Amino acid sequence: MNTTSQLDLHPDADSLNAFAEQALAVPEREQILAHLAGCSRCRQVIFLAQQAAAEAPATQPTKQPATRFWSWRLAWVPATALAAALALVVTLHPWRTPQMPELAKAVPLNESAAPTPAPKEQAVAGAAHKPVQALAAKSLAENDEFAARRRTPEELVQQSAPSAAPPAEPGASASSAGKGQAFLPSSIESAPQQETTAQFQPEPVVAAWQQERQQATGAYSASADASQVSHKSMRAEAYTSHASRQAATAGPRMVQQSQSIPASSFEIITQQQLAESVASRKANLPRLPSGLAAVSWATVRHLTLEIDLAGTLFLSDDSGEHWEPVARQWTGHAVEVRAKTGLSGNTAPAGVFELKNDAGSTWASADGKTWSAQ
Amino acid sequence: MPSQSVEVSATAGISAVPDAIHSRLLDELWRESCAATYGLEHVQFREILERVGTAQNFGLAPEATASRQQQVNYFRGLRFADLVLARACANGHQGAWEHFLSVYRQPLTRAAIAIAGSETLGRELADQLYAELYGLTTRDGVRRSPLDSYRGKGSLMGWLRTTLAQRHVDHHRRTRRELPLDNPADGNEPQAAAPEPQKPASELLHLSKAIEEALHQLAAEERFLLAAYYFDGRTLLEIAPLLRVHEATVSRKLHRVTGELKKRIVRNLQAQGLSKAAAQEALGADPRDLDLNLKKILQFSLPDAFTEKAVPIRGMQ
Repeated sequence: MNTTSQLDLHPDADSLNAFAEQALAVPEREQILAHLAGCSRCRQVIFLAQQAAAEAPATQPTKQPATRFWSWRLAWVPATALAAALALVVTLHPWRTPQMPELAKAVPLNESAAPTPAPKEQAVAGAAHKPVQALAAKSLAENDEFAARRRTPEELVQQSAPSAAPPAEPGASASSAGKGQAFLPSSIESAPQQETTAQFQPEPVVAAWQQERQQATGAYSASADASQVSHKSMRAEAYTSHASRQAATAGPRMVQQSQSIPASSFEIITQQQLAESVASRKANLPRLPSGLAAVSWATVRHLTLEIDLAGTLFLSDDSGEHWEPVARQWTGHAVEVRAKTGLSGNTAPAGVFELKNDAGSTWASADGKTWSAQ
Repeated sequence: MPSQSVEVSATAGISAVPDAIHSRLLDELWRESCAATYGLEHVQFREILERVGTAQNFGLAPEATASRQQQVNYFRGLRFADLVLARACANGHQGAWEHFLSVYRQPLTRAAIAIAGSETLGRELADQLYAELYGLTTRDGVRRSPLDSYRGKGSLMGWLRTTLAQRHVDHHRRTRRELPLDNPADGNEPQAAAPEPQKPASELLHLSKAIEEALHQLAAEERFLLAAYYFDGRTLLEIAPLLRVHEATVSRKLHRVTGELKKRIVRNLQAQGLSKAAAQEALGADPRDLDLNLKKILQFSLPDAFTEKAVPIRGMQ
C-alpha cells in the first residue's frame, strides 16, 4: 500500500457527502475512509456537514410539539369560556326556560361573530339550528354591513368612531390587547378584577354594550364599573357570548345585542338609548305577540321595532308594552332592522328606521309603519 | 447488437457509455428526472450521463471495467432529479433557479449558520456560495458553477452542506491559521522543550517501529475511528452515523481496536527481540519521547484517488 501523503488532495464534496449519506460503493467508501483517517480537514468538513444536517431536522420536531402544545393550550380558552357560560346558564335556566326553543333557533344567526369555536362546542349547538343558520349566514354574507357586525367587539370599538381609540395610558392598549387571550379565563370569571388592568376609558357606546352584555348573561357584578372595563375584558365578553350562543342556553337578547353594535359609517346609538332599550326589554319578557324570539330590533325615542324569527316586523310605541305587527311592504325575509339617528340622538330624520331582507335589499321608514325601498 | 456494443465499450475501458444502455435507460431516466422541465434535451442528458458515469467509473475501482448491469445499477443509484436540477441551474435555466431557490435557500442558510456557528457568518457564507453557484466566477471567459461538479451520488442538499463546510473550513484555516489537529510535520507549532527520555534510545526506537507497524496493519475504518475519537475528540454519537453503526457499537469497536493495537505492539516488540516482560514494560514509555508522526502513519490513501485540489493553506505549505 502506498503511504504517500495525500494532504494536498481531497475528495470532492460529492464523494464526502455520498460517504456521509452511505451512498458509496464499498471500494469508494474504503478510499474515503482511508483518506479521512489521515486528513483532519476532511474529517472536520464531514463532521460539520453532519452536524448541520442533524440540526435541521432536529429543530422541526422540537418545534412541532411546541406548536401543538400551545395550540392545545389556546384551545382551553374557548373551552373554559364555554364551561363558564354553561355554569351561568345552569344558574339562569329556570328563569329563561320559556324561551329556550326559540333561542335554539336564534343562536346560529350570529355564530360567525365569535372566534372559531371548538368542535365540541359546535356539537353542542345542535343540528336543529342548521336551516336558520344557513339562512342567516347567507343574508349576512351578502351584505358588507352585516359582515361588519360579525367583527369582534375590539374591532367594533376601533371602527365605531375615531375618538374611540384607546388614548391616555402610553403603551397600555397594545399590550392589553395582545395579552387579552392569555388572561381570558380570569377576565371572564371576575369582571371587577379587570379594573386593575383597565387601560383606557371606553366610549359610552362601548360601556353601554358592556353593561347590556353582562346583564344579559347574568355575569355582571354590581361593583363592576362598566366605564373602566378594559379592552381585554371585551374580548373575554366576546368569547363568553360566543360560548353561550354555542351552548344555546342563554337569553335571546344575546343575538340582538351583538347585532345592535353600530357600524361606524352608519350610526351611533347613544348610551341613553341603549340603556332605555335594555331596561324596557328586561321589564317586558316575553315581548313579541308571535311568541318567537326576536332576531333584530331598533329603538328611536318611544318607537321600537323588532323582527322575529319568522321575519315578521312588530312595532311598539310604548317601549315594548304593546306590539302590533307591521304589514309586509318588503320582499323576501326581513332579517334586520336598524335605527338611524343623529349624533345627539335627539333628532329623528326621515328614514329613521332601516330594514334589510335576506337578499340585502334595504327599506326605510320614518314611523316604522310605512316602508319604502331604498 | 447491444451486447456487442457493451462488449466493445468494455474493451475500450471507461471512455464511453454503451449505446444499448442509452437507448433504454436514457429515455427512462430522462422521463423520471423531468429533465424536459428544465429544457434539457436528450443529447444534453446523455452527455451528463456519460460524464457522471465515466468520471467515477460507475462506482468501481479505477482498474475495473463496468459490466452492463453494473452501469445500470450505478445509474439507478443516482439522484437524477437533483442532478438534473443542478445541471439546469449551472446552465442558467431560470425555472431551475427559481425552483432551486424556493427549495434550498432557507435550508442552505440554516445549514450555513449551523456550520459557521454565527448567524452573520453563516449568512455571509451562504451568500458567497450562492454567488459561486450562480456562476459569478468566470474561467477563460466562461461562467463556472460548482453545481457542475455535483454528480448525484448523494442528495443535492447534502452536497450543498458539504460544500459549505468545505468553504468554511478552508476559510477558517486560511484566516486563523489554526488546525484542530496538531500537525508536527508542518513544524510551525512551537515545540515544547522535550524532557530527557527516561528510556534508552534503542528501546524507544523499537517501540516507535512497533507502533508504526501496528498502525499500518489497521483497517481504514479503524484508523478513521482512532483519528476521529482521539485526535479530533469526536463523540461516539458523532462517529456512529458515519460508520453506519450504533454508538454502543462504536464504543465496542474502539475498545477492541485499542486492545488489538496494544497486543500487536507487544508482538512487534517481541519480534524485534524483546522479551514479553520487556515489551510490556516498553509500553509504559512517555509518548512524548517517541519520534512518531501519527497523522502520517494513519494516512494510507492511494495517490490520484481524488481529483479535487485542496485550497493551499497559507503558511503551512
